[in-house]
Amino acid sequence: MPHVPTDTDVYEVFAQTGSGSPLNHVGSLVAPRRDAAWHLAKETYGRRDDLFRLWVVRRTDLIVSSADDRGLLAAKTRMPHRQPGFPTTRRRDRSAAPDTAAPPQQQPDGAASGPCDDPRGATGPAPGRLWPALAEDLFVLGNRLGERIVDYIDLEESLAVGSIGQEALAHAETILTLHGFDASAADAHFFERPQEQWRVSRVIGRLGDWPSTVVCGLVIAAAVSVLAEERAGDEPAFAAIRDEQLVHLDHWRRWVRALAAWPETSEEFTRAFTEVTHCAGDLFGAGPQDALTDALHARLAALVGDSGVPGSRLPHLPVPRAAGTGGSVLADCLARGRLVRAHYAPQVFL
Amino acid sequence: MPTATAAGLRCYELWDPMPDEVREGARRFATVQALNELVGVLPFAEWLDRAPSCTRRQMLMAKVQDEVGHGHVAARVAEDLGMPRERILVDYLEGRSKVHNIFHYSFASWEEFGPGLLLMNSAAIFQFRSLMKGVYLPYGRALRKIEREESFHYQHALDLTHEVLTHGDAEQRRRVQEGFETWLPRVLAYLGPPDTETLHANRMHQIGLKPDGNDELRQAWLSKIIPVFEKLGMHVDPALARQLPSGEWEFAMPDWAEVKKVIAGGGPASQRRLDWVRGALDRNTRYRRALRGVA
Ligand SMILES: [Fe+2]
Ligand SMILES: [Fe+2]
Repeated sequence: MPHVPTDTDVYEVFAQTGSGSPLNHVGSLVAPRRDAAWHLAKETYGRRDDLFRLWVVRRTDLIVSSADDRGLLAAKTRMPHRQPGFPTTRRRDRSAAPDTAAPPQQQPDGAASGPCDDPRGATGPAPGRLWPALAEDLFVLGNRLGERIVDYIDLEESLAVGSIGQEALAHAETILTLHGFDASAADAHFFERPQEQWRVSRVIGRLGDWPSTVVCGLVIAAAVSVLAEERAGDEPAFAAIRDEQLVHLDHWRRWVRALAAWPETSEEFTRAFTEVTHCAGDLFGAGPQDALTDALHARLAALVGDSGVPGSRLPHLPVPRAAGTGGSVLADCLARGRLVRAHYAPQVFL
Repeated sequence: MPTATAAGLRCYELWDPMPDEVREGARRFATVQALNELVGVLPFAEWLDRAPSCTRRQMLMAKVQDEVGHGHVAARVAEDLGMPRERILVDYLEGRSKVHNIFHYSFASWEEFGPGLLLMNSAAIFQFRSLMKGVYLPYGRALRKIEREESFHYQHALDLTHEVLTHGDAEQRRRVQEGFETWLPRVLAYLGPPDTETLHANRMHQIGLKPDGNDELRQAWLSKIIPVFEKLGMHVDPALARQLPSGEWEFAMPDWAEVKKVIAGGGPASQRRLDWVRGALDRNTRYRRALRGVA
């Protein structure tokens, strides 16, 4: 987690040597008084070069990354699709492949017909069922958050939901990959199954106004991070999912507190919080209920409880997921996802 | 202290004393850009939920996010110069500011999306590379960040167009061709009316905020982008654009009266853009207040 340093008399110094060059961090110094810091910096760091700009900031006014934030900061590894070379590499790989428009390759059992047991059996029965269901939730949530980028609640918020949305989609796909799907089987899974075969959580149907979206984001991030924690020790991909979902959880918690505390939105928010948490009992409700799902659910309830607002109606025990949920939110997501795809041969789009 | 550019003009940082017309000009350029990024992303955002694979959707979402990010950095530059960000969209809704002609249209199909994106992106890159040489340094730095990301979008647009041209059927490929022909004149117009004769008298040029003329940029852009489309295997109708032996490009001159009408709100998607922005502000202003904790 980023932290705020405590050395109150230390100042960090930034200098720029020409108008075209960047402002660089050049070092730090100790100044007993704030009004002396800039002059001391000039004598310490500006003796030999003509400086264009010299900026000094007190260390306690910084928010700095910690060593364990490096994973979150590694944008290139986390989000390869954002890299400039990504489209070119992808195109080259594809033209090197034997026949890209061949019929779909063998999919894992049940891949096209709905969540299935983990074909590799690595995660045991319960998580093996829980993951594909949560992947469906993440996929729909990710799409909805993508639309929120241009909803202009605030510009910084637009950028944040854009990243949470892309990560939700990436996690959905990673989860399927870890369950034996390749990229085109994952696409078929998300784009081609009829709605009856989806088993999204009932919270998905509530992805409407912003307060409900916030609470959906909160409960999904809580559930995914709780389940990822189970496998974080032996599978780095799950550890990465957990870390990113914990960041999402924090983001939604800040919103939960803000909307609950603000007089103009508190009533509306309380209603959304009650309704969505009431629907969230099925997040761990795919497959048979056992001691593990009860324990996961208890941890989910604790995280939701920690969000700092009362009024959660999360059931005490997990509730089974039903087929055919998701309402118009899921229906629209699936229908629009097929509009372009339906006019092309299978396997055209990667 | 202000420094000098290659053109011999002084450059300015935020807190430097500077002539009012430089400050106001820079504020206006950054405000116009912020608005155009924020509204200009809407025709792309409309296709997010139709993007036909997980990866394509992530790539498009990254692009949409970048565009809003461009709006954000441009708005920050404008805010520092005294333009509150809230006013950028409100001025647009109340008719005090306009967006470029190209954002008054929607894409008719996925096939049109690729070539349209490619044309718009590449033209924007030429614009930004020129503007980043301007005398207001914080705007120049903002543009450098923006331009870097625009070149990602350019690669994305190329990939998307290539995918449809390689794997689509004859009808789909024909729509790519049509998309190119539909968008080329619009983007030619986006680069602004002819100004070779008048640039030297343009005050923004004189004070160093508009380094290059529209015609100069249009010529440079055509030299770059037309060969790209030819290499993709598309037909370039000489009536639309053709290169003379001198190297100069001849192109179908946009109907400037029509362009003006479109910019004034007479384009097929003009109302749709306004409605979206109005809806977003109506839906969300109270949540923004809650986040900031101020009424
Ligand atoms: Fe942009
Ligand atoms: Fe762009």
